[in-house]
Amino acid sequence: MIFSHYLRPAAILALALSLAACGGKASFPINGTAAGVIYDGLVLSTNGMDLSIPAKATSFSFPNSISYGEVYNVTFKTLPAHQNCTLIDQTTGVDTASDTAGRRAAINVSVTCSLNTATIGGTVAGLTADGLTLTNGSLGGPVTIASGATSYTFPNQVAYGVSYGVTVLTQPTGLTCTVTNPTGVMGDAKVENINVNCVANP
Amino acid sequence: MKSLFLRSGAVLACALTLASCGGSGGNLVLGGSVIGLTRDGLVLQNNGANDLTVAANSTSFVFPTLIGNDAGFNVTIKSSPPSAVCTAFNNVGKTGNFDVTTVVIQCVTNTYNLGGTISGLRSSGLVLINGPDRVEIKADANNNFPTTFTMAKVADGSPYGVAVLTQPANQTCTVNGGTGTMGSADIKTLQVVCN
Repeated sequence: MIFSHYLRPAAILALALSLAACGGKASFPINGTAAGVIYDGLVLSTNGMDLSIPAKATSFSFPNSISYGEVYNVTFKTLPAHQNCTLIDQTTGVDTASDTAGRRAAINVSVTCSLNTATIGGTVAGLTADGLTLTNGSLGGPVTIASGATSYTFPNQVAYGVSYGVTVLTQPTGLTCTVTNPTGVMGDAKVENINVNCVANP
Repeated sequence: MKSLFLRSGAVLACALTLASCGGSGGNLVLGGSVIGLTRDGLVLQNNGANDLTVAANSTSFVFPTLIGNDAGFNVTIKSSPPSAVCTAFNNVGKTGNFDVTTVVIQCVTNTYNLGGTISGLRSSGLVLINGPDRVEIKADANNNFPTTFTMAKVADGSPYGVAVLTQPANQTCTVNGGTGTMGSADIKTLQVVCN
């Protein structure tokens, strides 16, 4: 009993001293993991700091730590070229953008980037019969275009930098369709000029 | 004596009940999930019997015969769909008191080569594509251009459409027979003709 009376204040004193020694409050570095950063240009911001994350980076650390109880809120200042990014952890589904330092043992911001994708398609002219199917290589199922259609879009989007090539898999009954601008390499915007023109068979 | 009669009767009744519901006498479901099944023809078995046909594009299955508590199960593939190979995972075990829905059947469709011949190619720069698949046709060390080409493999039943993405310098190439649907064998009959 006597011992514990003496020991307890001593322990509290020791704890207080050790806290004071490290500045009074624990400090938390804002660390994170990055996945899928293919192009340069990604800049994250929080607590007055900007951090540039180069292509192919897998981890990052903001230059300054924050104190226990301080709030961080990471935002995208700029995105990588041709990519979109999220701060939602892809494994757990948790939004890692903001929290209060010290609520968890460590700060781990998770940024995941993916290539921009866009649709490809075009106009259709002279399609007076059923039976036309188009394919973009072996990517996804072929697209069936009904008689009377004046435009089409492939359901499967194409990622930036990936090639596409639209060909006629089956011709409509009694017609022959040709494709203009059938091939290309995907840019940032959707492609709408892969036009199909159908004429009656002689 | 009386109890012996009763007991025998009870056993008989029990046996009859079991027989009437297929002999398994269980009340637990045995099933799971299916991945990648694009064609008909998958037949599953449990303990070498109880054939269960699973239709194309199914994502789950359940054996119609219920199984008992503490019963051993072993789900196997009796037959895979044509041109596909299916494999069972988490498929052997013993039931406790709960339904078993954790068996996984994964099917992978066979893939085949897609290619053909090239004629008249004299300069570099020709790039052939099958959608996202890109193949550049290059000369060898002696500056001879190849007379055949092969694209990435294509799954049985999938469409393909080979086209020219980039023409070679000062030449124009066309693809004959470049579009179709992959069957259950390699395709080597596409023709790239350059003038």
